[in-house]
Amino acid sequence: MDFKDYELDARIYDEMFHSDGAARTHVQGVHTALSETSAADLADIQDQVTGSFSSEGISFKVYGDDEGDERIIPVDCLPRVLSAGEWRELETGLTQRLKALNLFLADVYGPARIVEDGVIPVDVVRGCPQYRIEMRGFKAPHGVWVAICGTDLVRTNEGFKVLEDNLRVPSGVAYMLANRKAVKASFRRLYRSSRVQEIEHYGRVLRTTLEELSPAGTSDPTIALLTPGVYNSAFYEHMFLAGQIGAELVEGRDLLVDDGFVYMRTTAGLRRVDVVYRRIDDDFLDPVVFREDSLLGVPGIMHACKQGNVTLANAPGTGVADDKSVYAYVPDMIRYYLAEEPIIANVETYLCRNPEGLEYTLDNLANLVVKRVGESGGYGMLIGPHATPAERAEYAEQVRATPADFISQPVLDLSRAPCLIDGRIEPRHVDLRPFVLHGRQTRIVPGAFCRVALRRGSLVVNSSQGGGGKDLWVLEN
Amino acid sequence: MLSRSAEGLYWMGRYLERAQHLSRLLRMQAEALVDRPVNEIHFGWLRVYGSLHRQPPVGSLELLAQDDYTLADSYTLADDLTFEPTNPASVWSGISSGRENARHVRHCLSAEMWTCLNRMYLRVQGMTIQDIWASSPERFYAETVAEIDTFAGVAAATMYRDEGWRFLNLGRAIERVQLSSALLHAQIVAAELTRDVSEAAWTGLLRLYHALEAYHRTYGLTVVPRQALDLLATDARLPDSLCRSLDMLSAELADTAASPNDQAVGAAQRLMGRMSALVNYAWLDREDPKALLRQLNEHGRDLHDLLTDSFFNYPVHDVPAR
Repeated sequence: MDFKDYELDARIYDEMFHSDGAARTHVQGVHTALSETSAADLADIQDQVTGSFSSEGISFKVYGDDEGDERIIPVDCLPRVLSAGEWRELETGLTQRLKALNLFLADVYGPARIVEDGVIPVDVVRGCPQYRIEMRGFKAPHGVWVAICGTDLVRTNEGFKVLEDNLRVPSGVAYMLANRKAVKASFRRLYRSSRVQEIEHYGRVLRTTLEELSPAGTSDPTIALLTPGVYNSAFYEHMFLAGQIGAELVEGRDLLVDDGFVYMRTTAGLRRVDVVYRRIDDDFLDPVVFREDSLLGVPGIMHACKQGNVTLANAPGTGVADDKSVYAYVPDMIRYYLAEEPIIANVETYLCRNPEGLEYTLDNLANLVVKRVGESGGYGMLIGPHATPAERAEYAEQVRATPADFISQPVLDLSRAPCLIDGRIEPRHVDLRPFVLHGRQTRIVPGAFCRVALRRGSLVVNSSQGGGGKDLWVLEN
Repeated sequence: MLSRSAEGLYWMGRYLERAQHLSRLLRMQAEALVDRPVNEIHFGWLRVYGSLHRQPPVGSLELLAQDDYTLADSYTLADDLTFEPTNPASVWSGISSGRENARHVRHCLSAEMWTCLNRMYLRVQGMTIQDIWASSPERFYAETVAEIDTFAGVAAATMYRDEGWRFLNLGRAIERVQLSSALLHAQIVAAELTRDVSEAAWTGLLRLYHALEAYHRTYGLTVVPRQALDLLATDARLPDSLCRSLDMLSAELADTAASPNDQAVGAAQRLMGRMSALVNYAWLDREDPKALLRQLNEHGRDLHDLLTDSFFNYPVHDVPAR
């Protein structure tokens, strides 16, 4: 299949080609192989990949759809390729960032030195709805508040940037593994000859991480993965991961707390649970402490957690560190706690809570992406250049009404990678979400859930909004 | 094993068994529509609806006894039993509920089991009675039966023999006992209600259980109702006979690990013994087979409740020592 109509734009970084049209050195093998594969064969490969997702039932749900409706996440069969060197830099940068974020969490729920020293304004921290006053004074096992982090990275001509840290219940890792499995099986020879680093051991690494954080005195801990249930959009992933790490997949109703210890209901009676990999939000975790109308949670589990009798991963309250306003201060955190310069940059961010940020945002609405601090999944945001004047005016009203709820960022020229679209190879915008695990040490499996905006020109990669997935190949040296 | 997972596997087993059983019945019924006399077709519908304790959507079954209605209404009846989503006993409900339970406990299944079940679901999903009726409804039912059989085979070949396996089989066995006791009961009732019941009505029942050849070998070529019932109830060599399903049920029950509710599990085992005795001892001296079958069916329902109390939803008194 030839690339002769493949469109390049000097302003946008292309993952496969230099702006002059020459293939990047590390992608040459893949480029040559794709060029030599016929359109019919590529179409077959795409069918195989899609077919394997459908028969394996790798699905997700979109909120607002009918309850029974599961969708298959669209997946593009062409891999995105990173060199070993590019990956090493990301790895160092992600490790640095998570270290600082964990120190920040221990600090803001402890002495709050960073606030006292004026690095972050107190109202940014305390005003954040994800700041959980109940966690004050909590000592996370080995200081690890965030054991599992999914960082959204984008690439522009200036290099990689962090778009968002997901520190609560990051999802997508099952798709990383499923994409690999399907794509590897379809590009068999190319995969072997490309010498791609393995990611299949993710489950083992996750298990090790969780074991390292188990309460003192428990060898061979019992681990349970707490899911909101089958109607959650990420249920497939919960089920998949439970199998991978040898954990029981539990719902709130399967657990009970007695005298500060957590038990699950098994066919042979109650059994103590040591580590809960929870995939349910803080709000729903414990009706005694958080939302009392939660039917998904476990009454008393927060008490057990604070007693140190059960480890919750991630710890409750971590949302304060991935809040969209707090995000703006992460580079300062890195400097403050580690005395290092951030290795991966942030995206320039204007906080509307600050008068100058608000003014700038309102003046430049047509060129900015404006996001609500409390929202995720691509909901509740305005992409200035793609909005009509009326939409912008309406949105400006909302921003003026509650400025603290909004931040803005320049519209980024996300990098593009070749995708198979209607039988042709065309560039589409991509991001990537690697998963950073931290127990006694940081471990990152060399891969990521690479998301792609399949609609032409679209910058929104969220699967709930027409995005799809792609396999990411990190090559060996 | 987590109680909820065990319960999910148990129900998955029950639902798929149910879908398979009904598909077998409907396959025979679809075949009968081609060349059998109307009273036999009517008998078939009476039997199916009777065994499900369900009223047909088109008035009464008595009305169906007339030629004009039976053939025309078969389409509606087949739709009600095959694709009707609000009918919890329909084939579609069985497959989709089976899969929904499997989805909850997918991590307890082998990958092959899930793929097999999911493919079956994807094939049937979105189909309507029009899609199967014009050409060959029996082919659709035969394929569904074969797919569920394949699933059982894949499960036998790939599933780890842990508690999950036992609860899956417990569900299948109890469902079989319930379905067979209800069907044999419905057969006797339908035979009483229908004028001039032909031998074919009984031959059909034997075929349904893959028992016709065995019957011929044991009792000769003429099918006598009483002997047909004996074979289906008490022949331990017949895979789906009542006594064999009860044996399976009792073996699975004996194998399940200690329950946290000794009282309920003790009661379940005693009830199990009574059910086996009904078929193994009381059956041959029976005066009223209908009463016996009804009793067996009621016991089955009670056994289900006891299993729930024993393993899935037991009361919690003490927590284990730490």
